[in-house]
Amino acid sequence: MPVEKSELLQGTLDMLILKIVALGPVHGYGISLRIHQISKEVLQVQQGSLYPALHRLERRGWLDATWGESENGRQAKFYKLSAKGRKQLAKEEANWQRLAGAVALIMQMAE
Amino acid sequence: MKRFKFFLRKSAIEKELDSEIRFHVDSVIQQKIAAGLSPEQARWQARLEFGGGEQVKEECRDAHRLALIETTLANLRSAFRFMRRSPGFSAIIIVTLALGIGANSAVFSAINAVLLRPLPYPEPGELVVLHQYNRTKNNPPNPIAPVRLEEWNKDNSTFQAIAGSYTQSVSEASGSSPERLVLADVTPRFFQVLGISPELGRDFTPAEEHFGGPHAVLISDRLWHRLFHADPHVLGKTLRFDSFSVPIVGVLPPSFHFPDKDVDIWSPVPMDAPIVQDRSFTWFTGIGRIKPGVTVARARADLDTVQARLARQFPKTDKNLMAEIQPLKETVVSGSRRSLWILFGAVTLLLLIACTNIAALLLSRTTRRAHEISIRYALGASRGSIIAQLLTEAFVLAIAGSVLGLGIAAAAIRVFHSMAKALPRVDQITLDWQLVLYTLGCALVATLLCALVPALIASRRSISSTLSSISRTQVSARAPLQWTLVGVQVALAVILLVGAGLLLRSFQELGRVSPGFDPNHVLTLRISGNYAETNNQKKMLQSRKRMLDGIAAVPGVESAAISASVPGATSGYPVDVKVTGAAVSPDRKITANEELVYGPYFKTLRIPILAGSTCKEDKLWATAVVNRSFVETYFPNQTVIGRHLTITAVDPKPEIVGVVGDAREDGLNQAPVPTFYWCSPNSNPSPYFLIRTHGKPLALANTLRRKIHQVAPSRSVFDVMPLKQHLYESDSEARFRTLLLSLFALTAISLAALGIYGTLSYLVALRQREIGLRMALGALPGQIRNRFLVQGLSVSLVGCIAGLALAASLSRLLASMLYDVSRLDPLTYAAVAIGVLAVAALASAVPAGRAAHLDPMQVLRQE
Repeated sequence: MPVEKSELLQGTLDMLILKIVALGPVHGYGISLRIHQISKEVLQVQQGSLYPALHRLERRGWLDATWGESENGRQAKFYKLSAKGRKQLAKEEANWQRLAGAVALIMQMAE
Repeated sequence: MKRFKFFLRKSAIEKELDSEIRFHVDSVIQQKIAAGLSPEQARWQARLEFGGGEQVKEECRDAHRLALIETTLANLRSAFRFMRRSPGFSAIIIVTLALGIGANSAVFSAINAVLLRPLPYPEPGELVVLHQYNRTKNNPPNPIAPVRLEEWNKDNSTFQAIAGSYTQSVSEASGSSPERLVLADVTPRFFQVLGISPELGRDFTPAEEHFGGPHAVLISDRLWHRLFHADPHVLGKTLRFDSFSVPIVGVLPPSFHFPDKDVDIWSPVPMDAPIVQDRSFTWFTGIGRIKPGVTVARARADLDTVQARLARQFPKTDKNLMAEIQPLKETVVSGSRRSLWILFGAVTLLLLIACTNIAALLLSRTTRRAHEISIRYALGASRGSIIAQLLTEAFVLAIAGSVLGLGIAAAAIRVFHSMAKALPRVDQITLDWQLVLYTLGCALVATLLCALVPALIASRRSISSTLSSISRTQVSARAPLQWTLVGVQVALAVILLVGAGLLLRSFQELGRVSPGFDPNHVLTLRISGNYAETNNQKKMLQSRKRMLDGIAAVPGVESAAISASVPGATSGYPVDVKVTGAAVSPDRKITANEELVYGPYFKTLRIPILAGSTCKEDKLWATAVVNRSFVETYFPNQTVIGRHLTITAVDPKPEIVGVVGDAREDGLNQAPVPTFYWCSPNSNPSPYFLIRTHGKPLALANTLRRKIHQVAPSRSVFDVMPLKQHLYESDSEARFRTLLLSLFALTAISLAALGIYGTLSYLVALRQREIGLRMALGALPGQIRNRFLVQGLSVSLVGCIAGLALAASLSRLLASMLYDVSRLDPLTYAAVAIGVLAVAALASAVPAGRAAHLDPMQVLRQE
């Protein structure tokens, strides 16, 4: 594997999951696949973090889960964003933009 | 605890988790195969990446657990919001539960303290009470002769030790006037058998337990506080009795009340004193500690063997004697066990009624909340979470109710202390952590009883989604479940009412009984004396005669007599007698109660003399008087006057000189039995003086005290009380039981009435539109009213009939407490039925009337 894998920052996983799920109903494996692909194979989500996070988000009411048929015809648990989750995502995104901007400013100054 | 919280849906969650993870692993494997790996390699790598999967699952479970705490908090918040929103409704539930739980906890506190809690001695199960009895006679068990007690203790193989005690009153003379104290004379080993040591000072030394050794007493914690203000230097101080002083060597702990809770001082009896050696003396009530693991039956068999040996050795005195053994706890509590369990049954019924009532209230409530519930479903709530929310609401109400109930129980405990003095161990009834736990347990059970069914029904998806629209537009609410609950309440209330009614009727019958003597204007009192005096009959007689004459000389006193027991308040002693020269077959046993009386007893109590004369006082022990039952039972057509009674082989044989009317000597609820009055100064050192007065008995009390102090300065007077009061107190337990049961029954019928009223009101509200329509179509208000009245009454009638049938079978439990009233007394049952139906009619009339006065136009316009 040529590209170095990065671990995710604590707390950003929830936001990434919400973002991915916002694109449409998707199962757990699909989420890990998309994070991997969209981040150009930089980010690798550990399954050991992914599933507990999914269940946590579901219990908080941010994700709704239904069982449905996957691409290969098997039963899989699909997650989609709830109304509450959509609000949460908006909040987290705004927060992230601010934070990322602030970090970038500091890094520029240091140069 | 680990999985407890999602017990409702545990297996479903586990299954989903399994298949979700399996899907992920399989997808990874497929991807790797697609990327060119062999299936084995792919599987192996996937497993490497994923680990066992178990850890992932466990972390997923944690997510659920944390969420459960959050939802519980949310449920509690919503429960408090619910209480704030409908304070009236919540208050009714809380008060109803408080009544049910409070009454239940109060009775439980008594049961726990009296019946369940062990006696305050180490290994109390090993303690037994011993008596001796003659197996050829009907006589009650006797105290044990001192020598025999020592032999039993020495020769048995099943006891750790046997000791004994007897009590008498003494006059303590260090104060300004003699004070009566209760003294327990105890054998050596007494405190070791009970396993108690003094809280201050020491037990008796062997020297103090020998004849001629130094005197010593132990005092009770109560006396220590009263006479010495809990002075820690009390040891060595003395108490004064008659002519000698006795040093105090120790103070017993406050919980120690043996052999009696009135005992103030304990003093050793030297078992080697000459006076103690007579085998025919009966002195000691034995207390023994059996060896661990030995049954009472084996101990009894063991003592029988010992006693059989003694019978061979001393045939004259010991021939037919046997040992009687009873567990100590039995002798303390057996009398009140039945009463307490019956009361507990009653309060349990009451709690059931309260829960049924609340269940009906919650049911009507949930129908109204159907809208809210269907919204929650629409928002994605699961059935479990809705049930949890409804149960939490009920639980919060139940906790509030049980806290209030605990207050009721605390108040009731105070009532027990002041009203139920006859109850053994009543002073140990307290508000303790066990009671708090029990009350909380009640709250939990009540929650499930009240709220589970309403919650299950309310959370049915189909109902909640449809009912939200029905309640306003359709009229199909028959509410069969609510009516069943109302019927159950009525039935349970009827059971309690019948029970209380039977006890009340019994009291009424008892009030009509003529006791056969006149208890009005009679004062009773006792004058201290000790057993040593009773050894010198002549001297004792002189002193008693002097006191009796002194009392009779007081202005206002009509006559005075002495008796060994209080007439009408003490159970008698049946003994076997023979009548000389009577024409009865020799094997026919003549059993009669023995009463020992001295002075003008029959005149004082106004018992009529039917034939012959009264006691002849000039010849002691020489005369006896029998009652009418004695003659009618044993000598219907013969004359008994002039014949002699043989009571024991050695006693003098008194001549029967007269026949008197039947008097209820054993208690007003006991029919008179054949009785003989032996004209003799009895050997009770402090017998009862019965004094007939012209005016109010108690008005003379102080004059009499002064007079007695004049005649016998070293004696103290105690237990001064009108005879009427003795009679009143002798059935205080029965009165208390009746009072409580009546109170519970009234609460029960009030709750049931509330149930009828509530359910009918709810139905009227629900069916407003139908009623309006009917009226618009020409129905008369009277017809509408009757429809609802009939509905309320018919349910009550069914409940009433069921309740009467149940009461008829349960009344068996009460049968032994009833006097002259059948447990199927038709009057009681009819009165209860009429009363309950009248209350039901009243409770139905209000909502039915409201229905009849609805304004059709207004109701229909609301739609």
